[in-house]
Amino acid sequence: MRMSLSLIQSELTKTRAFVFKNWIMTKRNVFTLFEILFWPLVAFLSVGLLAEFAALQPEMKAFIMIGVISMSAVQVCQLDVAYALLYDVWSKAIKHGFAAPVGIRHLLFGSLIVGILRGGSVFVILVVASYALFGFNFALPGALPIALFVLGLFLSAAMVGIFVCILVLMFGNRAEVAAWSLVSLMLLLCGVYYPVSVLPAWVRVLAEVIPLTYFLEYFRLFYGFPPIFSHVLLKGYVMVIAYLVVEVYAMKAALRRAKRTGLLLKLSE
Amino acid sequence: MVTFAIEAKGLHKTFVSGWFRKRIKHALRGVNLSVPEGVFWGLLGPNGAGKTTLLSIIANLLIPEQGEVYVLGEDLRRNAGAVRRRINLSSGHANFLWSLNVRENLEYYAMLYGLSGNERRQRVDDLLALFDLQEFARVRFEELSTGTKQKLSLAKSLVNDPALLLLDEPTVGLDPDVAHRIREAIRRLHRERGTTILMTTHNMKEAETLCERIAFIKDGRIKAVGKPQDLKDELRLGDTISIAFNGTVQAEALRSLQGTYEVQMSDSLCRILVDDHRKRLPQILEFFMGRQIFIHDLRIQESDLEDVFIAYTK
Repeated sequence: MRMSLSLIQSELTKTRAFVFKNWIMTKRNVFTLFEILFWPLVAFLSVGLLAEFAALQPEMKAFIMIGVISMSAVQVCQLDVAYALLYDVWSKAIKHGFAAPVGIRHLLFGSLIVGILRGGSVFVILVVASYALFGFNFALPGALPIALFVLGLFLSAAMVGIFVCILVLMFGNRAEVAAWSLVSLMLLLCGVYYPVSVLPAWVRVLAEVIPLTYFLEYFRLFYGFPPIFSHVLLKGYVMVIAYLVVEVYAMKAALRRAKRTGLLLKLSE
Repeated sequence: MVTFAIEAKGLHKTFVSGWFRKRIKHALRGVNLSVPEGVFWGLLGPNGAGKTTLLSIIANLLIPEQGEVYVLGEDLRRNAGAVRRRINLSSGHANFLWSLNVRENLEYYAMLYGLSGNERRQRVDDLLALFDLQEFARVRFEELSTGTKQKLSLAKSLVNDPALLLLDEPTVGLDPDVAHRIREAIRRLHRERGTTILMTTHNMKEAETLCERIAFIKDGRIKAVGKPQDLKDELRLGDTISIAFNGTVQAEALRSLQGTYEVQMSDSLCRILVDDHRKRLPQILEFFMGRQIFIHDLRIQESDLEDVFIAYTK
C-alpha cells in the first residue's frame, strides 16, 4: 500500500516537473505572452471586422466566430505540448531530460495541463471579446455541449502537439516548424471558416480523418448548421483517443529511433 | 567477490549520415569494459575515439547495434527505467533551460527523478551548499559564467544521489582555478559517498590525480586498462634521470645497472631511463660517487599519463 502510494506520488511529481518547466518558461518569455494575447486577438479582430464589413447574417457570423475561437485555443494549447520537447531542444538540454526516469505520459500530461491553462485563457478572452465586440453568444448551447466541445478541442491540441514531438524526434530541429504550420493546415482542412461540404471530394476525405472537423460540426449544430456527418461527437472522440494512443506508441518508437541514430545526442550539441 | 557497476560486452555502434546514408562512422568496435563498484574510473582517448559514445550508451541515450550492457546489475535493454533511476550524468559545456534559475533547474531535475516536497527542497539546498551555488540560486542559467554552469551541471548530476555517475569532460573549457575547484568537488564526492564514477577527459593530469583505474580507447576499441602506474610500467615508459657531470662515464656500465631501460650519453650529460626513479636513484648516485665523478646538475622527469596516452594513440 505504502509502495503504491509512493509510486503515485513519484508519478505525480514527474508530471508536475513538466508543468513547472512550461509554466516558468511561459512566465519568463515574452513570445509566449504574444501567443496568448497578440496573435489570437489580431486573428479574431480581423475575422470579426471582416464579418461586420460583409454584413453577414448572425448565424454565419457565429459559424466564423466558432472557427476562429476554436483554432486559437487549439493552436496555443498544442504549442505547449510541443514546447515540452522544444524548450529542451532549444536549450540543448534534451539528453538530461531523457536520461531521467520519465515517460512520455509525464511529458504529455504535464505539458497538457499548462496547455489547457493557456489555451483556456485564450478561449475565455476570445469568448468574452466576441460577445462584447460582435454580440456573439458562445454560451447558447449550454454548459454540457460547451464542456464536450472544449474537451474535444484540447484533446485535438494534444494530438497535434505530440505529432510535432514525434516529428522533432525523427527529423530534428528541421521539424520544429511543424509546431506552427500543422494547425494552419488543419485550418484549411477542418472547415474552420467554411463548411467541409465546399471542399473538393478528395480533400474532404482528409477532413474526415481529422477529429477537429467533427467537434466543429457538433458545436455548430446548436447555431443552426446541421452536420454533414453522422454521430459527430462519438466519431470525434473515438478518433482523437485512438490517435492519442497510437501517437504515444509512435513517440516511444521515435525516441528509440533517435537513440539508435544518435539524433538525441545531436539535439544536445 | 567483485560486483560491477558497469559490464559492457562486445559493444558495437555505428553512425550513418549524409545523402543516401553513405557516410559510415564506426564509433565502437567490440568494446568490453568492466568497472567495479566504488571505483573512480577514467576513460581516455583522442577525439572521436568513442568515449562519449560509450558513456551515452551506458546512460541509455544511445542504443548499440550489438552487445550487452549491465549497469548496477540490471540489463540495460530490459530494465532501462530502473537503471536511469540510479545513475546520472554531467557533461562539459553544460546546457540547461535558459530561463530557469539555478534553484529552479535543480528543482526541475529533482522532480524528474521523482523527488517531492521536503526531500526535494532539502536535496536542492544541500547541493547548492555543496557546490557554493547559494549566491547564484536566483540567477538564470543564461546569465551564469561557464564555471558556474559547470558547477550546476555537477549539482544536477547528484539530485538523485546516483550509485553511478558519468562525467563527460567535466572541466573542459574552464580556467585553471575553477577547474581545480571542480576537481576537488568531484574528489570529495567520490571519497565521501563512495560513488562509482566513470569520467572522460582530455586532461591527463586530471585523470592521473583523480582516477584509480584508466581505460584507453582508440578507434572504438579499448587498447589498455589498468592503474596509471601499471600502464606506465607496462609500456616501460619509466622516468628519466638527467645528470650533468665532469669526467668520463662508460655508458655500458650504466646500462648494466638494474632497472635501467636506456642510456643516452653526450660529452658531459647523460640521460638515463629507469623503471622507477625512486628505486634507482641511490644506485646511480653511488655509481657516480664510487668513480669520483662530480655531479653538478641532476634532474628527474617522471613519465606521466600524457606519455602513456601518446604511446597508445600514436
